[in-house]
Amino acid sequence: MVQDKSKHRAYLSLLLPAFLVYVLIILYPILMSLGLSFTKWRHFKMVGFVGLENYVAILTDPSFQKSMWNNVQIMLVSVLGQIPLGIMLAYLIFRQWVKHTKFFEMMIFLPITISSVVVALLWNRVFSPVGIYTSLIRTITDNPDYVVKIFENRTFAMVPILVVLLWQHTSLYMVIFLANLQRIPESVFEAATLDGAKEFTIIRSIVLPQLANVIFTCSVLAISGSLKSFDLVFAMTSGGPVDYTSVMALYLYKQTFTFNNYGYGSAVSIIIVLLSVGLITFVRYVYAKAQRKYE
Amino acid sequence: MMQDTLRTQKINKGWKLFSYAFLIFFTFLTLGPLIWMTYSSFKLNGEIMMYPLALPKHATLANYARAIEFGNLFSAFKNSIVYSAVSTCLTVLFSLSAGFALTKFGYKSSKFYMGTFTLGLLITVNSVITPLFIMEINTGLYNTHLGVILPYIAFGLPMAILIASSFIRGIPDALIEAALIDGAKYGYIFFTIILMISTPVMATISVLTFLSNWNEFLLVFTLTSGEAMRSLPVTVNSFAGRLNQDYGLQFSALVIATIPMFVFYVIAHNSLVKGFGEGAIKE
Repeated sequence: MVQDKSKHRAYLSLLLPAFLVYVLIILYPILMSLGLSFTKWRHFKMVGFVGLENYVAILTDPSFQKSMWNNVQIMLVSVLGQIPLGIMLAYLIFRQWVKHTKFFEMMIFLPITISSVVVALLWNRVFSPVGIYTSLIRTITDNPDYVVKIFENRTFAMVPILVVLLWQHTSLYMVIFLANLQRIPESVFEAATLDGAKEFTIIRSIVLPQLANVIFTCSVLAISGSLKSFDLVFAMTSGGPVDYTSVMALYLYKQTFTFNNYGYGSAVSIIIVLLSVGLITFVRYVYAKAQRKYE
Repeated sequence: MMQDTLRTQKINKGWKLFSYAFLIFFTFLTLGPLIWMTYSSFKLNGEIMMYPLALPKHATLANYARAIEFGNLFSAFKNSIVYSAVSTCLTVLFSLSAGFALTKFGYKSSKFYMGTFTLGLLITVNSVITPLFIMEINTGLYNTHLGVILPYIAFGLPMAILIASSFIRGIPDALIEAALIDGAKYGYIFFTIILMISTPVMATISVLTFLSNWNEFLLVFTLTSGEAMRSLPVTVNSFAGRLNQDYGLQFSALVIATIPMFVFYVIAHNSLVKGFGEGAIKE
């Protein structure tokens, strides 16, 4: 009995430091956020409950819709751009057709350590009138007055940001896929090559099925990552011009910290949480269904 | 047979060529902007405007001198170290102790706690930033080191606990039972046995946590106000942000902000690859 009691005390004292910090900083604020999302604020003071008014206002705000669409673009580039490119890079390195694979892997993975702010400011310069990109285009097209104008185009303003996201995060998926490719036994490839299987057949019927699980995990990572994107966009464009490159997190930031609209801001954050939980549940559902069909 | 090997060799040649082309292209794409940034930081603004791509003709450290003098980069560097190092140490310690409690004690409540922590993987800084800001203002944590470190720990924990638990689960129970029979207390077992055995997983968790905390932006940006509390990314953004027109100065600030992480990358590359690679398998 005494032993049990002291065991339980030990259990709690090992667990509580982590659990208390977690509850205090994450769980409690989430609940508070939910409560706040039904309130209205003026001059740093709560002025009453407004029910679902904030939610209706957000969902009908064209600026929020634009931000959401921009998040969708980021998501598409992450899932359909970064992941396939990551698989391809990982596969080329894994197959050892080239020498110095370690060197290539190390160089391509390098951007993972650079802060988004630095990446954003660097690429702003790349696209600036004295940047690499501009200079190259000027030389190629022989037009010394060329400048990048795509930021001012409402439809395509996100393109430079999407390019930078590809540059920054593709290597993360490369490393994840590479680690998983290395778990496939070497003999599988040898047998397939001896049987005269074409490379594309190997990729389609050995590599991709083996990676299915990881592709799913990476899609979840990519989706939740793209919903929270803030740093890069903030440092690169701050959402401008107007709201052309705004994303949901930036919209939330402006509501809370520029307009001190805490209730409205909280409602935005709840919408982001719901979207991310919903999307991930959806991906999980699709994956489970595909898996059943495959088997 | 002979023909077969010939054919394979031919195919391999094509793939070889393609691999080289693709990998060299990608490496060039990755390194190009970084190399350009580095050598441009030794050029004065005028030279950059005139010859944007050329190597520096009159290499100078003037940009660096000014960036260090006016940019407050040194104090930002110190803050970054404090935020990242303290929070990483505590995240590692807390996640290992929680991992030990959740996998080796056999209580039913473990499942509930584990589920609650796992839920945290879905929650991002955005979703708590508004209430967190209000809470920190009310409790006086706003604009303090602790006010940044606590959220760093909290957001690091879910992933860290997952990694720690799956490692500690693999430690043989017999080891712990033997120590208990010898009369050791659980706290003693944690510090002498669990921590000692867990060094490889400690390295993985530290490297991943340190990296994400070092590069974190939003929390420091919203939960601190004074220059004296800013971390490196936030300082670089306000000092060398997109409205700054002195390119030379900006490049030197970016290089200064990149160097610590470059050193970190060279040292921790293998742990990083292992951490990211295995982290995704575990999920």
